[in-house]
Amino acid sequence: MKRIALLVAVGALAVAGCAPVQSGPSGGAADEKSGQLRVWLFDEVNRGPKQAVVDQAVKQFQSEHAGVTVDVQYIQISTRAERFKGAFSDPKSAPDVAEFGNTDLAGYVAAGGFAEVGADLDKWPDAKDLSPSILDTAKVGGKVYAVPWYVGVRALYYRTDVFSELGLTPPKTLAELAPLARRIRAAKPDLFGISVGGKYTYGMLPFLWASGGDLASQQGGKFTSAVDSTNGRAGIGRYTELLAEDICPPQQCAQNGGDASVQAFVSGKAAMTIGGDFNRGAMKAGAVSGKYAVVPLPGMTEGSVAPAFAGGNLLGVTKSTAHRTLAVQFLQLLGGKSFQRKMFDAMGNLPTFTDVQRAVAEGDEFERPFVRTLDAGPRFVPATPAWAKIDAQAVLPTMLQQIATKAQDLTAATATAAQHMNEAFGS
Amino acid sequence: MIGISRDGRAALAYLAPAALVLIGLLGYPIYQLVLISFYDYGQEQVSGGAPLNWLGLGNYAKLLSDSQFWTVLAQTVGFAACCVLGTLLVGAALAVLATRVRAVPRALLFLAALGAWATPTVAGSTVWLFLFDANFGLVNEVLGLQGFSWTYDRWVAFGLVAAQVVWCSFPFVMVTLYAGIKAIPGEVVEAAALDGASVPRTVRSVILPLLRPLLVVVTIQSVIWDFKVFTQIYVMTGGGGVAGGNLVLNVYAYQQAFAASEYGLGSAIGVVMTVLLLGFTAIYLRALRRSGEAL
Amino acid sequence: MKRPGRTLAEVLAVLAAAAIAFPLYWMVLSALKPESEVISSDPKPWTLQPSLDNFTRVLTTQGFGRYFLNSVLVALVVVALSLLISFLAATALTRLRFRGRTLLLVMLLVAQMVPVEALTIPMFFLMRSVGDAVPAFGLNQLGGLVLVHLAFSLPFAIWMLRGFVAAVPVELEEAATLDGASRQRFLWQVLFPLVAPGLVATSVLSFIHAWNDFLFAKTFIISASENQTLPLALLAFFKPDQNDWGAIMAGSTLMTVPVLVFFVLVQRRLVSGLAGAVKG
Repeated sequence: MKRIALLVAVGALAVAGCAPVQSGPSGGAADEKSGQLRVWLFDEVNRGPKQAVVDQAVKQFQSEHAGVTVDVQYIQISTRAERFKGAFSDPKSAPDVAEFGNTDLAGYVAAGGFAEVGADLDKWPDAKDLSPSILDTAKVGGKVYAVPWYVGVRALYYRTDVFSELGLTPPKTLAELAPLARRIRAAKPDLFGISVGGKYTYGMLPFLWASGGDLASQQGGKFTSAVDSTNGRAGIGRYTELLAEDICPPQQCAQNGGDASVQAFVSGKAAMTIGGDFNRGAMKAGAVSGKYAVVPLPGMTEGSVAPAFAGGNLLGVTKSTAHRTLAVQFLQLLGGKSFQRKMFDAMGNLPTFTDVQRAVAEGDEFERPFVRTLDAGPRFVPATPAWAKIDAQAVLPTMLQQIATKAQDLTAATATAAQHMNEAFGS
Repeated sequence: MIGISRDGRAALAYLAPAALVLIGLLGYPIYQLVLISFYDYGQEQVSGGAPLNWLGLGNYAKLLSDSQFWTVLAQTVGFAACCVLGTLLVGAALAVLATRVRAVPRALLFLAALGAWATPTVAGSTVWLFLFDANFGLVNEVLGLQGFSWTYDRWVAFGLVAAQVVWCSFPFVMVTLYAGIKAIPGEVVEAAALDGASVPRTVRSVILPLLRPLLVVVTIQSVIWDFKVFTQIYVMTGGGGVAGGNLVLNVYAYQQAFAASEYGLGSAIGVVMTVLLLGFTAIYLRALRRSGEAL
Repeated sequence: MKRPGRTLAEVLAVLAAAAIAFPLYWMVLSALKPESEVISSDPKPWTLQPSLDNFTRVLTTQGFGRYFLNSVLVALVVVALSLLISFLAATALTRLRFRGRTLLLVMLLVAQMVPVEALTIPMFFLMRSVGDAVPAFGLNQLGGLVLVHLAFSLPFAIWMLRGFVAAVPVELEEAATLDGASRQRFLWQVLFPLVAPGLVATSVLSFIHAWNDFLFAKTFIISASENQTLPLALLAFFKPDQNDWGAIMAGSTLMTVPVLVFFVLVQRRLVSGLAGAVKG
């Protein structure tokens, strides 16, 4: 009897769900003009100043829109994937406006999470001053899905005390970097010539791009990996050359990502590193405080700048929002010129409007090399959901680590990586 | 004695709550898991933005033809075997030791073991990593190995993680076996001694057979737990080690599938893991039954 | 009479205890160290300036008290329910003969073999549907977490309790039946107290299971921050750029201590309970 009951139960379930569950398409048909606007922003190490600026924006918004309350939630970056996936799959708990990383955009759009805002930007006067290369990071398939809120680019940090002691000047071309780093380590064996890491993909990308290579080429909407092209290999080789005993020993550097690479410089263990404007706070608090300077990472020819990775965060409106008009208006307020400037003053986040950027650089010595790098034209990872997959599978870090540890040579490692990338692009 | 039919009805009543929870909350998701493994099921499909695409055994074919899968599988089996052996040996040795000492040292031993048991996995992994940190770790400071990275070389890293796994899972074995040894009636051992049996012989022919049901349970549990190790590898080797050298199946599944939203492939790996564990347990139990033990 | 070898054994035992406890000592020590000493290239196994800063930072995290209560609530409800359900099931599986018994036992083992991580997605949708029917047990709710943990702790709980129930002599049941006690009375007034040590051992494991969970707490509590549990408070100190080690260690200490206290309190019962399994 027990067995029959069991069989019946199992059979009923099997019939009830003969295909895996799916969410219904999340529609934001309604466009309510009052009620609560839910906003998700990222939590930060030192959230106070950010929260103060956001609170100011919320206050202003609420006074301009009677009957509207704005509820801001700060979410952890480490759990963002689960939170966003959960929100997309359960529209009940989704926010109306959210901050998110630009490398996550393509995946979120493919998951049906964010709404297109191109038409809204066309009607917004501020939008024409958005830096075009940065606005590209908010586009998927030519359509705009978000407002870039701030950017982060990386440049070359170096130790002024070490350089003047050894009578050195910062490198003028990318080719000079490795010999220079080697010379420093030979003279000061307790320092890394330059601190780079086997998991520091964004540190590697400028080398790839400066050498004329790219992550992928696009033809007719289809991406093909280009890391195993001649130029691509040359660029990757130029980076992995730094992961060697006489510059940055693999034993200590191969496992480092961007944070750990910069941390080694901050704690005074390296003569150079590739770091971002967002590392400013750490530098100020670290052992290198007052003993470093920043220049743009040079390109192949003297006076050129290696294209930097255009990292940064976006503000978007979710597709499932029931307050579309209000959400766009809040987006334009918090992502607009005045509040971007306030965010820069509070957090040091680089603005995405060219005129605001310039105003910021004029008043600040530290920001100048970063704004110069931005002016030179930063570049971006392939704008496809497949990138999230490639990123999550750690294809490029694995490639760099294999070369650095000599588990595979440059040719084999880039070929394997290209194969994995193409598999992701193809699916 | 009670009649069979009454037994059956009572059994149904007693099992009903458990069956309700297990079928509804575990059986159904497992059924979905198997189902998902036959589909191309990514984030687009989950949120209803793309149609479902039946792949049949496609995910499995992809998996079995991937050379990395076989490497990871071999690593997982080897790693789990070492962890299980280490856990059983340390647990058994300390259990025996605990029966040989007076109350105070025994209390200390138990307190330490219970502490290791009570530590959340994430916290335990983090502390170990911290102790073995290349630059800030106490171990390198004491050994004079400043800058030596314990997670760089594949086998050193596996060794470190295995040590941590043993650390947090031996207490279960130790406490269980200690309890088992204490429960063996003193007369049995004394009788054997009176019969003139040597100590090793007493252990082999009196104590071990009595402990056998417990040994079976702790072995099976250890195998199940160690084969599925996730947190320790994930936290201590930074998600799978240098160039993925320290991947085990569970972390591999997570990377290949959940981080990249390829749930179909991830489910297939989950199913493969379950089948492998099932196969092992079946063989183990059959071997036991052949030698006269029932489940 | 002093037995030879015992001193050696005791020295060994104390050394082993010290080695096992060392990581724990380090955890508590790091939690007490001032920030500059936590990350230092010259780590010392002691600190001359213990400070409670790290604990203050953790305890004043927004909602920490609330998270703590949530964790306790979820864990206790899970323990209570899983004890009740698994006691009944274990009794059925050991005391009653019926067809399909071995099959059920094997299924309990299989249920433990499925990797938990792989089940999150189907679980997510299941809980969403449950939430549509009974809001208090759906996503974003503590009730949902209780259901999930209950499902995952039951197979092991039943599996373990089985041994304890089996250890109670069958003659006792026969005697009770002869005395005219009903099955119900026997179950709750004779058997239940007799397997108490086993219930304690099982509850400890169920408790740890629910208490330490990160995965479901961060997946299923999507936007209701008032329903987060303790491990999430800990996670807040893992930052992408620089982990706050002092706070992580302090948080871990705070998470470990209640479990350890619980363990020590029930230690004797745990041991005598586990012993029951061998007599059967």
